[in-house]
Amino acid sequence: MSDLQKGFYPHGDDAYVANFSESEREVLTNLTEQIIELLAERIDHHSDDPLAAMVGITSHDTPPEDEVLLRLLPNAYADQVDASEFRRYTESTLRQKKQGHAMAMRTSLKTAIDGVVEIDRNGANDWLGAINDVRLALGVRLNVEENSPEELQLLKPDDPMHGVYAVYSWLGWLQESLLEAVMNGRQ
Amino acid sequence: MVKVNEKIEEELQAIFSGEVPWITIVWDDPVNLMTYVTYVLMELFGFSKDKATEIMMKIHTEGKAVVSSGSREEMERDVARVHEFGLWATLQRGDQQ
Repeated sequence: MSDLQKGFYPHGDDAYVANFSESEREVLTNLTEQIIELLAERIDHHSDDPLAAMVGITSHDTPPEDEVLLRLLPNAYADQVDASEFRRYTESTLRQKKQGHAMAMRTSLKTAIDGVVEIDRNGANDWLGAINDVRLALGVRLNVEENSPEELQLLKPDDPMHGVYAVYSWLGWLQESLLEAVMNGRQ
Repeated sequence: MVKVNEKIEEELQAIFSGEVPWITIVWDDPVNLMTYVTYVLMELFGFSKDKATEIMMKIHTEGKAVVSSGSREEMERDVARVHEFGLWATLQRGDQQ
């Protein structure tokens, strides 16, 4: 049996292992780097108080205009005034935590030996969160709100979204394999 | 003597009786895998697999579910943790559902 078809599987008490081809590692690394870049702080406000910035308070309190970023950094309140206030105090931290997950995933891909990625429980949570952020981002571009899986499967091979959907589906499968490995280990 | 209306009285009572007027709601979305939603609920809120699965199904079929209740500050922390893992959550007063 090929490991490529297995995704993640448990290895010992607190480890999860997956074997990736070079091109799979490249795709995954590339996606994590895009997420890290996307989540970099907004530079549209130059008047941020450096001391406030240090403790994670920013002067921007409006939701991101980019649809993908808004999906990753959603409003916490239905009320706009409350949502803005919350965003001012928490968005910066949320960006950093999400970046942290993606960076941890990138590191384990870079340090894989012979394509074998081995992660512990914390690493698994980083991977699960980071894969999810990538899927959320791709999901916005694929407009999964409107398009059914059946419609997306019928995309023509020359449609650029065809490849995006293939990656989106593969990430779902990979995430599911890691979830299974982690959850079975908990019982 | 301070004039206290009914609303404020309720609020004050809630503070001293430890009653908890705020809730965290998780909303359905078409991207997050059902297994993933279940796992995040177990991991962040300490639910058993059965309980987490039940709440996940409620989110999936009804569009949303309450996952925790407590003070406003506690709910803000919960929402932030849920957002970190990519589920969409909001908080609101429990009596405004």
